[in-house]
Amino acid sequence: MADTDPIIRIRNISKFFGQLRALDNVSLDIFSGEKVVIIGPSGSGKSTLLRTINQLETVDAGSIVVDGQDLTDKTANINKIRMELGMVFQSFNLFHHKTVLHNLTLAPIKLKNIPREEAEKNAIRLLEKVGIAEKRNCYPAQLSGGQQQRVAIARALAMNPKIMLFDEPTSALDPEMIGEVLDVMVNLAKEGMTMVVVTHEMGFAREVGDRVVFMDEGKIIETGPPEHFFQSPEHPRLRKFLDQIL
Amino acid sequence: MPEKKVTIDIGDGAAIPTKKDRGLLSAWRLAFFGAVGALLYLILFHPDPYLRLLKFLPDGILITFQVTFSSIALALVVGLITGLGRISRNATINLIASTYVEVVRGIPLLVQLFYIYYALGQFVRVPDMLAAILAMSFCYGAYMGEVFRAGIESIDRGQREASFSLGFNRTQTMFYVILPQALRTILPPVGNEFIALLKDTSLVSILAVSDLLRRGREFASESFLYFETYTMVAIIYLIITLILSKIVGIMEERMGGHGRH
Ligand SMILES: Nc1ncnc2c1ncn2[C@@H]1O[C@H](COP(=O)(O)OP(=O)(O)O)[C@@H](O)[C@H]1O
Ligand SMILES: [Mg+2]
Repeated sequence: MADTDPIIRIRNISKFFGQLRALDNVSLDIFSGEKVVIIGPSGSGKSTLLRTINQLETVDAGSIVVDGQDLTDKTANINKIRMELGMVFQSFNLFHHKTVLHNLTLAPIKLKNIPREEAEKNAIRLLEKVGIAEKRNCYPAQLSGGQQQRVAIARALAMNPKIMLFDEPTSALDPEMIGEVLDVMVNLAKEGMTMVVVTHEMGFAREVGDRVVFMDEGKIIETGPPEHFFQSPEHPRLRKFLDQIL
Repeated sequence: MPEKKVTIDIGDGAAIPTKKDRGLLSAWRLAFFGAVGALLYLILFHPDPYLRLLKFLPDGILITFQVTFSSIALALVVGLITGLGRISRNATINLIASTYVEVVRGIPLLVQLFYIYYALGQFVRVPDMLAAILAMSFCYGAYMGEVFRAGIESIDRGQREASFSLGFNRTQTMFYVILPQALRTILPPVGNEFIALLKDTSLVSILAVSDLLRRGREFASESFLYFETYTMVAIIYLIITLILSKIVGIMEERMGGHGRH
């Protein structure tokens, strides 16, 4: 694969929920190391687009190639591809029956046959990185939302993914906890992780985003670097959206 | 006006006391200490025939427990398979599991017992006790299947998605993520089924299995002390189920949640 090939190549995908067209002929290339921020009004298809990348949603038309593997190919080993794609959800989705530490070690031990000791060492290193190692023996329900989301990020990182997908990671958090999660994401970005982030945090988009994608009604309306995006938005719908949100 | 749907849920087992339900708790106490008191009174002040009965019945109690535990173990396995079948995306598997549940629900347990017992007898000679256990498991497996299904479906969709996103396949997700959490939800209804099954094992006394009830019948038909015998049998069943319901209640409280307050 040449360096100039995108690590994620989305071509003309469409997705229907019954009659509703959640994605309408969407194409997007994302390159290794790039940070792409997806914004848009609620119901515009942001989550659906993100979720097609790791096939939590299948598409009805078009193709998605991740790291050289065509996801729409019936023979593709989707579970293998998902190991390359970490995902962070709005509602954290930590495993309630496992401690923080075991949330991080479950997948590496079962899927990558990493010895428990090594998996735990790696997990603790990641927990230290997100600043929550002291809670390693707690259950998720004992943590605040911000702490849970940081654990969720660490859990995804424990599989050593090439790409991280974030679906409104701070939307379910109390305002005072948003910062601690964004800090972790900013640090991750600095380390060169390829990131696709759906968010309403425009400060984050500006600081971290290489490219911002604006979606509305299942379509990508405008895409560009954040400076251009926020200073001289071209499309009237984007202007309206930014007026409302800023 | 749209019709309002009201569901009244009455379990098959003995009522499991909860902390919230003080009234029920005192009802449990009243029943339990009443039963134990009655038992003590009868064997102390009327040792003949009650002490004789108490010595005669334990063999039956043992058999009742054997049938209960074997049946519940088998029913749990059948129930897990049925529950998984009921949520399967494979239409054929789904249909088989659903049909099994419908059939079992539609036939009285006693008829099922007779049927399996004599149907099996047509082809193979199975010991009475094994036939009884198979029949009980066949029936209770269907109910257990519904319990498992409800438990699995009660787990938030986000848990599955998180598991998939890490790279787990459907089977791994079921066994590592969904079932361990569902078990907590299904413990109370499984406990209820367990108690209901224990009571229903009295039906196997008809199949020449010497359980508690049958031992009682044997005693009664020799001594003609029908009233005394069935008083004793009833008290023993009551004490056993009350103890079990208490244990289930305590387990339920202990398993209440990992660090959830
Ligand atoms: N599983 C689903 N079933 C039916 N409709 C859905 C489903 N998921 C999303 N939708 C619909 O698809 C549209 C796009 O949803 P989504 O991608 O979640 O939007 P966003 O994340 O931008 O708010 C919405 O109209 C939503 O109601
Ligand atoms: Mg969304």
